[in-house]
Amino acid sequence: MNLILKGGEVAGEEGAPRRADVWVEDGVVKGVGEKIAAPDGVRVVDCAGKLVVPAMFDAHVHFREPGQEHKEDIAHGTEAAINGGVTGVVMMPNTNPAIDSAAVVRMVLEKAGEVSRIPVYTSGCITRNRAGAELAGIDGMRKLGVRMLTDDGDPVANPSVLMRAMEYASEFGMFFASHCEVAELSGPRALNLGRVSYQLGIKGSPACSEEICMDRDIRLAHAAGAHVHIQHVSSGIGMETIRFWKERGARVTAEVAPHHLMFNEDDIGEYDTNYKMNPPLRLAEDNAALLEGLKTGVFDQIATDHAPHSEFEKSQDFVTAPNGITGVETALVSLYDRFVRAGDFGWDLLVKRYSAEPRRLMGLDPVPVEEGKRAELLVFDPNGETTFSREFMKSKSVNTPFLDRTLQGRIEMVVAGDEILLER
Amino acid sequence: MARKDFLDIASLTREEVEYLLEQAVPFKDLFTRSVKKVPALKGKSVLMLFYEPSTRTHSSFEVAAKRMSADVIDLDVPQSSVTKGETVKDTVDTLQAMRADYIVVRHEMSGMPLAIARQTKASVINAGDGAHAHPTQGLLDAFTFKEVFPETDGRKVLIVGDILHSRVARSTSMVMRKLGVEVAFLGPGSLVPRDGTEGMRRFTDYEEAMKWSPDVVYLLRVQMERQDAQFFPSLGEYHRVYGVTQERLERLADKGTYIMHPGPVNRGVELCHEVMDYERSLINRQVENGIAARMAVLFWLKPGTGSEPPMTTE
Repeated sequence: MNLILKGGEVAGEEGAPRRADVWVEDGVVKGVGEKIAAPDGVRVVDCAGKLVVPAMFDAHVHFREPGQEHKEDIAHGTEAAINGGVTGVVMMPNTNPAIDSAAVVRMVLEKAGEVSRIPVYTSGCITRNRAGAELAGIDGMRKLGVRMLTDDGDPVANPSVLMRAMEYASEFGMFFASHCEVAELSGPRALNLGRVSYQLGIKGSPACSEEICMDRDIRLAHAAGAHVHIQHVSSGIGMETIRFWKERGARVTAEVAPHHLMFNEDDIGEYDTNYKMNPPLRLAEDNAALLEGLKTGVFDQIATDHAPHSEFEKSQDFVTAPNGITGVETALVSLYDRFVRAGDFGWDLLVKRYSAEPRRLMGLDPVPVEEGKRAELLVFDPNGETTFSREFMKSKSVNTPFLDRTLQGRIEMVVAGDEILLER
Repeated sequence: MARKDFLDIASLTREEVEYLLEQAVPFKDLFTRSVKKVPALKGKSVLMLFYEPSTRTHSSFEVAAKRMSADVIDLDVPQSSVTKGETVKDTVDTLQAMRADYIVVRHEMSGMPLAIARQTKASVINAGDGAHAHPTQGLLDAFTFKEVFPETDGRKVLIVGDILHSRVARSTSMVMRKLGVEVAFLGPGSLVPRDGTEGMRRFTDYEEAMKWSPDVVYLLRVQMERQDAQFFPSLGEYHRVYGVTQERLERLADKGTYIMHPGPVNRGVELCHEVMDYERSLINRQVENGIAARMAVLFWLKPGTGSEPPMTTE
């Protein structure tokens, strides 16, 4: 492969996108410059008015394999990722069986090796079968490359179990990711406790359920000398909790999901289960606080918590319907449409928080569009449009509020190494 | 304006509420005649789909439908345990095949009647869903209230008890407010939501609430059994703090205050035993009016119109 992306602007972690042509040869960025003359035989892609952007990385996806392949599998999940400009993912271990041993990790990675066109990383469970009691087979998973330990979907209820796991596995250079929740406070885990929960007549989960557990887990990590990564923070006080601990020097990182930035409990309307996830959507003031947290660096990264469920499962009543929405193929366009276009933040933030930092969290190198680096980039047309129709989406599931909605922005091409993964 | 479904009070206009209340009057007049039946729904079928045990509401709907000459079919559906969506969808498909005209649904899951209404051409009537809504109860309460107070604007209703878990509190407060009635809540802090009750006064003390001089004290049924973590220490303490004790009943009598309750009454909890003889108790009248109000709803709905049901929340 040998091509020149001509006439576009190149986005990076720092500063505004700058005008430059990009020459990719044999999977490597051979040159970035104002005007690159195309040698004979090199394909020239007209990128005038478009952006050349480092490809994204999503450190929180549920690909449901093994065990729940009717919702998603690695083949469809990774194609959905590519469709969303994402060229690397970290799977969550709440599969069936759970990813809690070397055997299951090996199975997942082998499957990914067969069917995926992008690298797939997996987290591993802290406890066996995510039951919160016995520790999972940590060393075996580590030897297969697992770095992130989490019982995602549930917290480790017993703080003593979590603290010992932290003391043990931190010595192996592993870190912990926490789904924060106090089960006794959360009720049926359906929606936020507030006006909407009263009006819909469903027991709500208070934000303090998440905040208490978050604070607990950071304190435990602080005491154990561990690194804890807080997943999908949904509330303003949660954001402030992380800021407080970061200022105290705790080894804490955190992520925010696009849906928690964009939607709040009012969007649930008439029991719309495409706005049901855990932690739940909270208030408009939480949206604002989370955005502030993202802009000020309290949140290290954006991660989607891509959580596919079948249409039948989501068509059940609001309490019975499972938590979660898909995200990996809507995130970049929706973040552009909602925030970059409005001037809330720029491409530098998107690249830093949804491409570079999640890779760093996983011990990987970022993929800037710079001479001599491996080519891992996408071409984005800010004037194009994307309609998230069933036909457009590659995930096995369509449980997203964006279904059949048209947003501004369009991913035109995704390149990874020597391969054009996507071209529209 | 005809509607396909009757799912909540919130989506009704005041005019629609007033219309239904007017319609209920001639139906109630029937009850004193020797022949209590009208042929209004002759040849139509009403399916009763009660996923939650109920005696009063079930009987009330059954009597209402039969007095309108409808065929009433009671579907044997699982009660008590949480019914998963699959079962409900299967049931709805079955109902569709039976070509029922009306489906009366009670379900412990909030929003289930809406889910069913969206999947069937039959008219769906919500007979109580979770803690969300119990709109025919709201309507019969409004009917009873209006019989006593024909001019509803500016009147006052105090609703006492477990507001948090009560679909009756939601529907009845909503319908009263639509009629211009001021609504206030009194109950334990653990059972009165902090959000969502805007526009309604909140009392924390019985005596303070009485100084507000409500026209009706509406008592909700209080239960201990659903308490996973206790909401209040004991039924005895509840009665002393929030209940209408014998001494309080005497003071209500002095002021001419009416009492309402959706039933069944826990004597010695919400109300002292003497309340059954209280001359301004509307509790039995509520039961009778429930039949008339439900007849008015059945008469009003237009099955098979297929329109997407408008739906808001209480």
